[in-house]
Amino acid sequence: MHFDPAVLVDYWPLLLQGAWLTLQVSAAAFVMGYVVGIAIALIALVPGWVPRLVTGLYVETLRNIPFIIILFVVYYGLPFSGIRLPAVLVGTAALALFASAYYAEIVRAAILALPRGQFESARAIGMSPMSAMRHVVAPQILRTLVPPSTNMTLTMMKESAVLSSITVPELTYQSLVVQGNTFAPFEVFAAVASIYWLIAVVIAEASRRLERRVGTAQAGASGRNRIADRYLSLVARRT
Amino acid sequence: MGFKLDYLLSILPRLIAAAAVNIRLAIVIMLLALVLGTALTIVRAQKIASVNALIAVIISFVRGTPLLIQIFIAYYVLPAVGLDLSPEVAGISAIAFNSMVFVSESMRGGLATIEAGQIEASTALGLPPHAIWLKVVLPQLFRRIVPVLINEATIVVKGTALLSVITVVDVLRTAQQMASASYRPFETMIGSALVFLVINLVISLSGRVAEARFAAARV
Repeated sequence: MHFDPAVLVDYWPLLLQGAWLTLQVSAAAFVMGYVVGIAIALIALVPGWVPRLVTGLYVETLRNIPFIIILFVVYYGLPFSGIRLPAVLVGTAALALFASAYYAEIVRAAILALPRGQFESARAIGMSPMSAMRHVVAPQILRTLVPPSTNMTLTMMKESAVLSSITVPELTYQSLVVQGNTFAPFEVFAAVASIYWLIAVVIAEASRRLERRVGTAQAGASGRNRIADRYLSLVARRT
Repeated sequence: MGFKLDYLLSILPRLIAAAAVNIRLAIVIMLLALVLGTALTIVRAQKIASVNALIAVIISFVRGTPLLIQIFIAYYVLPAVGLDLSPEVAGISAIAFNSMVFVSESMRGGLATIEAGQIEASTALGLPPHAIWLKVVLPQLFRRIVPVLINEATIVVKGTALLSVITVVDVLRTAQQMASASYRPFETMIGSALVFLVINLVISLSGRVAEARFAAARV
């Protein structure tokens, strides 16, 4: 078997359209998911067991069900309640719903990791809860938020491939269309996988730069000796 | 057309029966991922530059592309190169390969928490490398990554739902088949969501018990 990129010549525009939609859907789901996630995280931090129980149920339910099933529940559930939307909006909403559960946990953990005194001192010098959150808590948790948020956003971008099963014409859907027309699975999926890979690498690199700016990045080298490194490290030592 | 609870209850037995497929696949995948992930970690620890560079590319690929695409590659591309796999085997291979990478990556993190003194002592005692791996490093490593493995198990269970796309008759596909007969897709989807929810909550809870036992055993 040989690799013949020429079979894709006529289909590049289709694949690029798909990639563009994948980016748009992921970006929209990121914004929507993060807004909902922050709201859920803030509710979870309200004292008392009721807010914690309700947000806990929300998060655990969404995290323990496969995204493809969340998608179908939303897809069939909306018409059920009389709401009819185009598949692409349904898919984006489902993706945002799915991601919001993870973002909520990331934000909650970051806020809990910050010493309580920070918020209390801000309140003590007369800041309102909102401005204490905004000017004291938010800038400090930003650095803890970047790495896990990037991870989750990458996961979410990859999960958007599942939207192909409700006919959203994103990258994976287009790849199946092109595969059906060309019967060249190797070329098609190699091309599509490369596009996803490229998107992932670009997002990861952008986040690495952001990390450097907000100061999360830490030295990777451990202070171990050579003998231990033989077993406990997977990276060759730079000499 | 209201929500029919009695219909939902009536299909649950068939969905639970279909869950046996997802559970069986998930167990096979997890076992493969553990064995392959451990082997991959030991190979990476040899620090052969060219091998590790190749593995780094594979890891980046697996982490940078959707699982669904990896499943399509196993299902559509492998037959084209002469490997004609059944949908089940193609699906198992794709998810196990994906999970292998995540197991090895979490092992990399776990290795960093093992005290250097233990390796020094083992080396000073003249233990051969295989003994250091099998008797010193791996037993501690497995205990340390139990929480990650439990989490990975729930991810694998969720991944098996994607195999319905390549015609494996699992919970989701069974639900879709019933929906096309009854025209009640919402109830069947809620039913399959419940089935997955229960499976994964059971895994998480038993994981917490296992973690507590391992933590106790370490003292």
